[in-house]
Amino acid sequence: MNKILIKGGTVVFPHQGVLQDVDILVEKGLITRIEKGIEDAKAFPINASNLLVGPGFVNLHVHLREPGREVEENLLTGSRAAARGGFTSIVSMPNTHPPIDNPLLVRYLLLRAREVGLVNIFPAGAITVGLEGKEMAEYGLLKEAGAVALSDDGRGVQDSHLLYLAFQYAQYFHLPFILHEEDETLSRDGEISEGETSILLGKKAIPRVAEESPMARDLILAYRTGARVHFTHLSTSLEVELLRWFQNKMPTSADVTPHHLLLTDDDVLQLGTEAKVKPPLRSLEDQKALKEGIREGVIPILASDHAPHPLEEKDRSFSEVPFGISNLEITVPLYAKALIEEGVINWVELWEKLSYNPALFLGLHNKGILEEGKDADITIVDPGTKKTVEVSKFESRGKNCPFENWSLLGWPFYTIVGGKIVMAEGSIVESEFC
Amino acid sequence: MEWTHKDLLGINLLTGEEIEYLLERGNYFRGFLDSSPKKMKWGEGYYLVNFFLEPSTRTRVSFEMAGRLSGMEVVNFTTEISSFQKGENLEDTAKTLARMKFNVLVVRHRQSGIVEYLAQLLPLHVINAGDGMREHPTQALLDLLTLQRKFGYFKGLKVAIVGDILHSRVARSLTLGLKKLGAEVFLSGPPTLLPPAMESLGGKIVFPVEKAVEGIDVIYLLRIQKERQEAGYFPSVREYAHFFGWKEKWLNKENSGPFIMHPGPINRGVEIGYNLEGEKFSLIEEQVTCGVAIRMAVLETLLQGETQ
Repeated sequence: MNKILIKGGTVVFPHQGVLQDVDILVEKGLITRIEKGIEDAKAFPINASNLLVGPGFVNLHVHLREPGREVEENLLTGSRAAARGGFTSIVSMPNTHPPIDNPLLVRYLLLRAREVGLVNIFPAGAITVGLEGKEMAEYGLLKEAGAVALSDDGRGVQDSHLLYLAFQYAQYFHLPFILHEEDETLSRDGEISEGETSILLGKKAIPRVAEESPMARDLILAYRTGARVHFTHLSTSLEVELLRWFQNKMPTSADVTPHHLLLTDDDVLQLGTEAKVKPPLRSLEDQKALKEGIREGVIPILASDHAPHPLEEKDRSFSEVPFGISNLEITVPLYAKALIEEGVINWVELWEKLSYNPALFLGLHNKGILEEGKDADITIVDPGTKKTVEVSKFESRGKNCPFENWSLLGWPFYTIVGGKIVMAEGSIVESEFC
Repeated sequence: MEWTHKDLLGINLLTGEEIEYLLERGNYFRGFLDSSPKKMKWGEGYYLVNFFLEPSTRTRVSFEMAGRLSGMEVVNFTTEISSFQKGENLEDTAKTLARMKFNVLVVRHRQSGIVEYLAQLLPLHVINAGDGMREHPTQALLDLLTLQRKFGYFKGLKVAIVGDILHSRVARSLTLGLKKLGAEVFLSGPPTLLPPAMESLGGKIVFPVEKAVEGIDVIYLLRIQKERQEAGYFPSVREYAHFFGWKEKWLNKENSGPFIMHPGPINRGVEIGYNLEGEKFSLIEEQVTCGVAIRMAVLETLLQGETQ
C-alpha cells in the first residue's frame, strides 16, 4: 500500500504558527492532500484523534559513532533511536574514527544510511582535517559528496586565523557551520561547571568563559566574513546575551540540549557520572536564561547532542568516564517537560524549533513543513499520556542517561519518513507494511 | 606621442593613450619577431641589467631576448653569487649598478612598492618586472597585446580572471590595464583569495566560477602557488583543480570560446588539464611571444626619451 491517511488529528503548521483539525493523505512519499474529511479506502489509515500531527522532527546534533565506534552506536541503532524519538531527519556529527573529513567517508555514510533506510541521515563534514584544528578540510568535495554542514563537534577550533579563512572559504560552497565552542586553554582537563558543586566535590572545573570567549570570537568572525554559523549546545546566560547582541546585525542560530534545560551542576551530586557532559551542566540562572532565549526566539532550534556510550563506560570513576548523554528517543518528551509544562512555549512553537527551523537552517526546503507536494516526513505525538523512561529499553546502544524513571508527557507515537511508517505506537516497524 | 616617464613602474601610472601607444609598437615588434634572421640596431650602445631578487626564468629571459634583439648588451645579476650574501643591502647594490652606468635596470623584488624607491634614487630607467603583490606591468602589457591581436578591440571585451587574485600582481596590473582600455573584468576564485576590496581595481567579483565565465570572451587563469595551500587559503590541490581549474563545460554553446590565457608556468593538472595548451582556444603560447615584443616596445619607448 502506497498511501497513508492520517485522520482526526490536530495538525501543527509550525511555519504559519497554527493548529488545525484536518486530515492528511500521503502518496508515494509525498503529502498529496491536506483537508477536512478525506476518505480513501485504499489508504492505510492512522487514527490520530487526540494526537498532534506535524512535520517530522529534524535534529541538528546526533552522534552515530559509525565508522569506528560501532560498539557505542551505529547507523542502524542510531536510526532506530531517532525513529522512536520522532526524528525523521538527523545530522550526524563527524567526530568518528576516522573522522568524516573527506568525501569518501561522506559517501560511505550515505550508502549505509540507504541500506538502513529508516530515517534521513545528513552527514556533517569536519571543519579541519582529522578534527585536529590545523588544516581546512575539502569543503567543496565534502559538499559534492553530500555533507550538509561543517563541524568539529567535540572540539572547538582553536586557531582564529584558520577559522577566519574557513568562514570565507565555505561560503563559496554555501556550507553552514555547527560550532562546538570550547577554548581548550580554558577548559583544560575540567570535568564539571565551575561553581559550588565543583568546590564541594573537589573536581577540576570548566569555567563559563571556556565557551563564551570563543563564541564571542566566532560571532565576530562570522559578522566580518558573512559566514552562516550555528552555535550548538549553549549552556550559559552570557551566550544568550551574546546572541541577542548579534541577532540584529546578522543571521544567528543556536540550539540547546534537553539536559541543559532540566539539570544543573547540583544534580552531579546525585547522578554522578551520568551527568558528566560537555559543555557541563550549569546553574539554575543559566538554565533560566536559556529558557528565556528559547521563548524569545533568539535560540531558534532544539537539538539533542545525543552522545551514546555503553553503560560500562559510565561505570568507571568520574574522571575516567567519557562526556556525553544518550537521549535521542526521549528528546521530545524532555523538551515537553522543560518548556511546555513550565509554560515557556506551546506545542506549535516547540514543533517549529524541532522541525521547521532546523530544516530551514540546512536548506531542506521540502522538509519541516506540511504542504501538498512536500516530502511525507511526518511525526505524530501523543501529548496527553504519561510514560516512564526506561533506559534499558532504549533502541540506542547508549544507556548513559540520567533520566531513568522520569515520568514524561509528549511521546512520539508515529514516525513517517518519506511516506513510510518507520515507528508506530512507540515501536519500530520491523517490516514494511505499507 | 610624447613620452614623459623615465621608468615603467606600474599600469596605474599610465594613461589609456600611453598603453595604446605601447601596444602599437609591440604589435610592430611582434611582426618583426616572425622575420629571420632578426636583428635591430636601435639598442646598440645601451646596457640592461636584469636585477631579479625573486626566482624567475620566463620574464628574465624574455627581457634578455628583447634587449639583445634590439642590439642592447644584457647582464644578468644573480643573487646566488651576489654581495647580498655578504650582507650588502638593496640600496647599495642598486646604486653600485647605476654607477657602473647601466642604462636600464629591470627589477623583480618580493617587496611591494620597492620599484618607486629605486626609480627615485637612481638616474637610470627602472622597469618593474614584478614587485611583491602589487604590479607586473610588462605582463599586463603582453596580455593586452595578445588580446588586441586576437580580438582587435577592448571596448566591451569580457575577461574573467580566475584564481589567487589576492597575491597576484598579474591580476592587479591586468585588471587596471583592461579597465583603462574599456574592457569588462570579472574576478573569481576561492573567496579566501579574493577579498571584496579587490573590486576597487575595477573588476567585478562573481561567485561561483561557472557564473563568472558565462558569456565571457577570455578566461585568464592565474597560477596557484603551493605555498597558498600550506598557508591555509584552500584545502588541497585536488579540490582547487576540481572547482577552479579549467573544464570543458566552460566552453560556450557555439563552441567559439572562451579563449584561455595563463601567465605561466602552468601547474599541469591544476589550473589546466594535460591537453589544453595546444588546443584551439589557448592563447598561452602567443602570450610568450608577445612578451618579447612588448618588452622591446617598452625598451624602445624608454630609450627614445633618452635620445631626444
